[in-house]
Amino acid sequence: MSDSAAEHVVEIEGLLNTVGPGIVLHRDLELRVRRDEVLSLVGGSGSGKSQLLRVMLGLKAPQAGSVRVFGVSWRDPRWKRVRDARRRMGMLFQNGALFSALSVYDNVAFPLRERGGLLEGEVRSIVHAKLAQVELDPSHGALLPANLSGGMVKRVALARALALSPELLVLDEPTAGLDPDRTTRFVRLIKRLREEQRFAVIMVTHDLMPLYELTDRVAVLADQHIIACDTIAAVRRLEHRFVQNFFGPERRRAADGG
Amino acid sequence: MPIPSAALEVETAAQGPVRKRVRVSGAWTFEHLKTRRGDLTPAIEALEREPPEHVAWDLTDVAELDDVGAVWLARAIRAAPRVEVAARHRLLLNQAGEALQVPAAARAPVDPLAPIVTVGRLALDFGEHLRDATMRLGLIAIRAAELSQRPRDLPLRELSAGVFRSGVTALPVTMLVGFLVGIVLTYLSALQLKRYGADLLVINIVGVGVVRELGPMLASIIAAGRSGSAITAQLGVMRVTEEIEALSVMGVSTNARLVLPKVIALAIALPLVTFCTDLAAIAGALLVSRFTLGITPAAFLEALPRAVEVVNFWIGIGKSAVFGFAVAFVACHFGLRVLPNTESLAAGVTRSVVAAITTVIVLDAAFAILLRNVG
Repeated sequence: MSDSAAEHVVEIEGLLNTVGPGIVLHRDLELRVRRDEVLSLVGGSGSGKSQLLRVMLGLKAPQAGSVRVFGVSWRDPRWKRVRDARRRMGMLFQNGALFSALSVYDNVAFPLRERGGLLEGEVRSIVHAKLAQVELDPSHGALLPANLSGGMVKRVALARALALSPELLVLDEPTAGLDPDRTTRFVRLIKRLREEQRFAVIMVTHDLMPLYELTDRVAVLADQHIIACDTIAAVRRLEHRFVQNFFGPERRRAADGG
Repeated sequence: MPIPSAALEVETAAQGPVRKRVRVSGAWTFEHLKTRRGDLTPAIEALEREPPEHVAWDLTDVAELDDVGAVWLARAIRAAPRVEVAARHRLLLNQAGEALQVPAAARAPVDPLAPIVTVGRLALDFGEHLRDATMRLGLIAIRAAELSQRPRDLPLRELSAGVFRSGVTALPVTMLVGFLVGIVLTYLSALQLKRYGADLLVINIVGVGVVRELGPMLASIIAAGRSGSAITAQLGVMRVTEEIEALSVMGVSTNARLVLPKVIALAIALPLVTFCTDLAAIAGALLVSRFTLGITPAAFLEALPRAVEVVNFWIGIGKSAVFGFAVAFVACHFGLRVLPNTESLAAGVTRSVVAAITTVIVLDAAFAILLRNVG
């Protein structure tokens, strides 16, 4: 493993990513995510945040450029290396993406059982510990995803993403669709879990609240690449239309008021 | 006080730059206008034919205006320079006027080469399916080889659930169809054979036909409709709800976790279903031969092993296992290609069933040629 890989959990270099024939979404995109940091990815609608996340997660192959997570390229033919890299990260999908045929308990147990090597009793203890971490009761374990509220789906999905004690947690709009109170509680939850478990976080968000509360660095995606990746204070000084609108005084007031 | 209905008064002047003064009043809303198309349209169309600069409009008495009213009026007003309108209606009217300028989407010209392009695209599409399916088949073979080294990792619960779902629950309908086909086939054969006095040959015809061909075919066609469509729909919905993505992100192989158990389950279940279908069809044949040809069930059953070599039975069962594999594999192939939208899901299920049945028939033809000297 190179020095860079020891320092960075995600390294993206010279990324060229297109959708459909001839529509370039990202060009010459560079992004490095350090260990133990919370990096937020912001950008206007249609700037390709979700697509960048898909490329980063290896769900979509880019046209050119390299994507390495934990120093492993998704194109690596040694699939066991790829699988092991995947097991070091957890993903919270925007809509949870819980397995609808499995109960809450089985959803959280799924990654543990897939990894193998544990007795069922050990799996049970870990699942209950993870449910407790996201402030869910063991009695919720028997419910099916269809019977959960939006906030609960997110917490179960978070418990599943944390099941293998990942070193990297990827959050796709974690607070979208939550009311302000739930948003606050969700952000506090992530904050507390991070203090306990020290994982890196990559978060796509439109909400200023989680941004100010959690983020170490902000990466701004605009004009097909990352135009800045720095602390909020530094990024806010940037002369760019999107940045000025996003961190503008009106939104700031709204975030403080809410 | 009720609002007066829409009205249009036109005053004609003999000379001067303005030839017509139009006073519009009342409620120009959909509720009021929907019954008035007949009497208002001629007046509006007449004004449309005037050059816009010759008409002066007074809309100040319009009590209510909505999009419909605005569009009707804007058509006639066009770029008229003299329009008096209440401030609260001005924006709506201007927007309607601008909207009328937007040309309707032009129809794409008919391409004379379109049929050739379509055929070419279909051929490329077919090639792509074939390539992807071959790749998936290879990946499944690799996973299966790995699993055979660690038999403890076999998803036994999923396998037994799959065998139950696509096997046991399919029995009533498949056996009913088999029974009825047995009756029809025997009856029709009996009618012909009676003429030549070759009554006993009915046992050969029905026996070989059912055990070697019809049993496996019936079972797999019903499996394609029942289990194949269910598999495609299930995988398709998993794509829509991002469950497939969630699996991939966890490093779980969709081929090993989703495809392999379904394929093995149907390859196990279908031969069993075929066996039961054979039994039901022979029961039908037994019944008909008793009443139309007077062959007693005992005589029928005694003659059956002599008329039908046992290899035919094994060919039928072996073919069923291959058909079961093919049906589940095709269903998984189409299910995993569903895009996250409802249209694609519906199309995927349809194509899956059609492709599964076609594949079964093609494979059956291949078997018929390969095994022509056997049995």
